[in-house]
Amino acid sequence: MRTNKLIVAAATAALALGGLTACGSSSDSGSSTNGTVAGGFIFGGPPEFKTRTDGIPGLKKNYGVEFGKYKVTDTGGPVTVGALKRGQIDAADLFTTDPSIEANGFVILKDPKSNFAAQNIVPIINKTKATDGVKQVLNGIQAKLTTEGLGELLDKIQNKKQDPDAVAKEWLSSNSLGTTGTSAKGVTLTVGSANFPENVVLADIYADALTAQGATVTKKLNIGSREKYYPALAGGSLDLFPEYTGTILQYIDKNASATSPDDVYTALTKALPANLVALDKAEAQDSDAVVVTKQTAQKYGLSSIADLAKKTK
Amino acid sequence: MAAGGAQPMIFKTLGWLTDPGHWRSTPFDTGILGQLGAHVGFSVIALVIALVIALPAGLAIGHTGRATWVVSVANAVRALPTIGALVLLVVIISPHFYGRTNAGFLIPTEIVLVVLAIPPILSNTYAGVQNVSPAVRDAAFGMGMTDRQVLGRVELPNALPLIFSGFRSAMLQVIATATIASYVTLGGLGRFIYDGLAQKDYPQMIGGGVLVAALALVADLLVAVVQRYVVSRGVSGRFHRNTSVDSRVAALVEENV
Repeated sequence: MRTNKLIVAAATAALALGGLTACGSSSDSGSSTNGTVAGGFIFGGPPEFKTRTDGIPGLKKNYGVEFGKYKVTDTGGPVTVGALKRGQIDAADLFTTDPSIEANGFVILKDPKSNFAAQNIVPIINKTKATDGVKQVLNGIQAKLTTEGLGELLDKIQNKKQDPDAVAKEWLSSNSLGTTGTSAKGVTLTVGSANFPENVVLADIYADALTAQGATVTKKLNIGSREKYYPALAGGSLDLFPEYTGTILQYIDKNASATSPDDVYTALTKALPANLVALDKAEAQDSDAVVVTKQTAQKYGLSSIADLAKKTK
Repeated sequence: MAAGGAQPMIFKTLGWLTDPGHWRSTPFDTGILGQLGAHVGFSVIALVIALVIALPAGLAIGHTGRATWVVSVANAVRALPTIGALVLLVVIISPHFYGRTNAGFLIPTEIVLVVLAIPPILSNTYAGVQNVSPAVRDAAFGMGMTDRQVLGRVELPNALPLIFSGFRSAMLQVIATATIASYVTLGGLGRFIYDGLAQKDYPQMIGGGVLVAALALVADLLVAVVQRYVVSRGVSGRFHRNTSVDSRVAALVEENV
């Protein structure tokens, strides 16, 4: 009986304490904690941005920017966009190809010190499937992919609700890449993609071009996040995946420090396991960007990430 | 998390849980205590609302024997996929809230938790009241008790063990499911599970899971203690000596006169 009562008392105390601290921390006052513009801001982004070397730690190291509070939203998706638009957060981590940046008049803050690593689009393929014909088809696509072109594809899928596969086929034929042939004849491969529209349309482009060139292709799209699909790719149950040089390098080598497109690409070719190869990187990039609303940018005079470290008057 | 032994992961998780830095909140980041408080907050709000709705409804349905279809409907709602309902409600509700508020995410979360908590409380309350022995009920009416007195003094005390078991299963479900709040930008202990996965910080992820389980156990223990003192000994049969059912009923009726 005595011990029972003690347990009850201890548990009640713990709950009361928890409740009190929760009241203290849930007030999003938005008041500046360190006297800078960023100190009064709530930053919204995916969970890993908080700890990634080019995320919050990188912004502090390169620009001396320290945000007042971090709010986990989603990975450059509708939750982040909505929260930024409606003022639940003041600055956000979005992707440069995101059509909602232009649609909402958001401002991308410049990154003069290259805090964010290059994120060129690169096909990662299983070595046994990378025949000369397959390489030729995929590298041909890579040569035509541009950041603006990708933004247009995304606009069609996200805003005009077109089918990604139809958009992929249209892009291939308008770039005269959809021609039928036999370059990839006899190759059987499985193409995967992560669960966001841009990655899906890239996988569709690769898959449709290879199919047109005689390959037997199975699509496994919308798999999920890298933790889910990378083991399948490394283990050989997926053969081809559209990736981004910076994040895949960071995923394989946590301590990678390269930031320029060529440095990142070179580091990636060295870091990949022996059974995977990176084909040519495209000019197209989909990198992270710190984004604010137009009103916020005007109010505080923000054009570069460095401006966030300015003292408030 | 693959080969490499379970022991190091246990130690890493213990290390994460025992690091005082992880318990404190900073302006930038909410620690374990803060998230624990938020988690308890989500759960308590949902359970109180569910009790206020389901307990009177269950008593009324059980006592009158009318509108039993409500219980069936509530039970059918259990099949609703919680995360799907949450995302749908966020899409509908959150665009109406502007500025520094979590309401657009908090309201959908509480709705799905309440929907989750109502069926076990409602169906157990109904079953508890309905299963009171007809002899006991007749005896109470025979002594001149009004409807309200029979419900409050005879049926409710007799139904309490079942009502408590319904509440406890609702509570466990709500505490476990409140982790989804972090799926829609809110806090709670789910934050550690969700963030740990994304940051490949598995000790944090497992630590979050351990904390949810610990919270559920502590909460259940607390309610078990409350139940021990609230439920009449005539109903729970917690006597020093074995007694027959008849004498228990006699004791109860005597107590209520």
